[in-house]
Amino acid sequence: MSATPTEQAVTTQQTRSPRFSLGNPWSKPRWLTGVTWVYILWSLLPVLLAIRVAFNEGRSRTSIDGWSLKWFFGDNSFSVFGDPALQDALTHSLLLAGLAMLIATPLGIMLAIGLQRWRGRGSGPANVVALLPLVTPELVFAVGLFLLFTTLLSTIGLGTTAQVIGHVTFSMSFVVVIVRGRLVTVGPDVEEAAADLGAPPLAVIWRVLLPLLAPAIAASLLIVFALSIDDFVVSQYLASGAETATVPMRIYAQARGAPLPSVNALATLMLLFTLLALVLAYVVFRFMTRGEKRGSAIEQIASIDSGGGR
Amino acid sequence: MSEGDIRLEGLVKNYGDVVAVDGIDLHIPSGEFFTMLGPSGCGKTTTLRMIAGFERPTEGQILLDGVDMSSTPPHKRRVNTVFQNYALFTHMTVAENVGFGLRYQKVSKDEAKRRVDAVMEMVQISELGERRTSELSGGQQQRVALARALVLEAPVLLLDEPLGALDARLRLDLQVELKRIQEQLEVTFIYVTHDQDEALTMSDRVAVMKGGKIEQCDVPQKLYEEPNTAFVANFLGSANLLSVEARAAGAGCDVILGNFTLKSESKPEQAGVGTAMIRPEYVKLEPQGSEGENRIPGMVEEVVYMGFHQDVRVRLANGELIRADVPNDGDSPEYEQGNAVAVHLRAANLRVLDDYPDQAADETSGDADIAAV
Repeated sequence: MSATPTEQAVTTQQTRSPRFSLGNPWSKPRWLTGVTWVYILWSLLPVLLAIRVAFNEGRSRTSIDGWSLKWFFGDNSFSVFGDPALQDALTHSLLLAGLAMLIATPLGIMLAIGLQRWRGRGSGPANVVALLPLVTPELVFAVGLFLLFTTLLSTIGLGTTAQVIGHVTFSMSFVVVIVRGRLVTVGPDVEEAAADLGAPPLAVIWRVLLPLLAPAIAASLLIVFALSIDDFVVSQYLASGAETATVPMRIYAQARGAPLPSVNALATLMLLFTLLALVLAYVVFRFMTRGEKRGSAIEQIASIDSGGGR
Repeated sequence: MSEGDIRLEGLVKNYGDVVAVDGIDLHIPSGEFFTMLGPSGCGKTTTLRMIAGFERPTEGQILLDGVDMSSTPPHKRRVNTVFQNYALFTHMTVAENVGFGLRYQKVSKDEAKRRVDAVMEMVQISELGERRTSELSGGQQQRVALARALVLEAPVLLLDEPLGALDARLRLDLQVELKRIQEQLEVTFIYVTHDQDEALTMSDRVAVMKGGKIEQCDVPQKLYEEPNTAFVANFLGSANLLSVEARAAGAGCDVILGNFTLKSESKPEQAGVGTAMIRPEYVKLEPQGSEGENRIPGMVEEVVYMGFHQDVRVRLANGELIRADVPNDGDSPEYEQGNAVAVHLRAANLRVLDDYPDQAADETSGDADIAAV
């Protein structure tokens, strides 16, 4: 018999039981569902475990040991609100995140508008460069900034200013992506329409462009906040001493030194802040764009969420 | 009222090496409904955008009531635009959208409110004032866009394919309404479209554009009945195009089609080899052997039933294929493939075009002897 390999393959497929999903295109994709669930549980497990330890009664960070809130609020000097070092870290993290948010967002908006409008020579490379921080290894980026602030920009030096500049630099790319998505949704016509109706250039920006960008602006603020508060590498490299330690830095240091569940408590608080910022970003964006057709901007927010854990 | 007189002088727009508008001279008198008609890429929208001020002309002048405004920024031009996709401000209510432009005119609050109410009533959206624009249908959004532009009472209104995104039924309603509003306000309308029906039904005058130039500019009836070029003939309605030789004869000319000599009442710019045009509805089919001038024997090759008429394709004795629209009015005979007929091409309707033969050949290549839009 001279059956070609293709014919043989067809015959084997047909004889297979239809319950085997790989041979049956109409079956439910049980395999994929299974893999997805395993992944979700696996990725949540360590986080949940770490959170659970934060509520430990005992001092152990390696085993689950009763229930209490003492590592959060306990009056001993080891709880988050009892240990001045942990408190300072929290304050410093919030300060950095607040400043980064307030600086990166306006700059990112301007950059986004500029890139969106720029046609002609140089606009292509500029687009790539503006998004480069999204893919640059953070360590490379941090080492580079470290060298910059210790040599060329030694007048600024290491410390809070350098940390803020570092956070602003890498988080601006995210603002650019979010705002540009919105700019595409809004389209160039509304600005022309406003000018056509007699609005001078500044009025076009204040009364039309910025209000229409508001959802993206709100989302940007909160995502920059989340990115900054999460950051370890840049903060670590640009820190100048104990007073510029952030929460992730403190957690890292403590975990290597004398680990207590209070570190987990602090991490739990940070996780809460980050989640809150992201959920708020999503809700605000959805609220402000209610009634509009669901555009690509929302999907972009969703993709940023996953990028937030860089 | 003599405001709203637009004059374009030698208007040119280049984008790098690409010529979008290639020298347009045009006078649009006050209160005219003027349409720029053409396929995409013919330069009609670019011309409109230059009048609005969104694009700067490479060369030439744009005069409004005798004053050159080609270097006036858009927000200072007394010209308003209705955009193809409406470009409404989605963060404002309908009434806020309509009243937007009045903020930048020296108008009291009461006066502004009165004018917003009046214009919203005119375009029949009075009850929608507090709605958000995202809650409106396409037709309602179009009305808001129109009201927003009209409320400023500028002498010229520019409309960039304003009905393009609406369904056919709604388009017809709004065509009638646009025309009514234009006549009521006596505002100059400059209307851009690629839809020949819109152009024919609403306009006082139509400019057919092609390749950044005006191909022919005239009142709709003249444009339809007496096109100068094959492009215009094809773009407005459908046309039979025949390769002929024209010879001057008296007030009209003789048209040589193979072995046949036909009369035409048109007088081409130059005699010689060229293109003759006749609309399918003017091609009359008569029984085989009927006598008289401008009759050519032929054989029915194909009949397509089109509802209110039959589209009958007849192969003429000289080999050309010609299309005749035979009305389904109960009186006309029904034709079948293979019927022998005499085709009557009336001298009044047979028109020799101004195209040079090579130009005409460009546009009528292949099967486009019988070209329909």
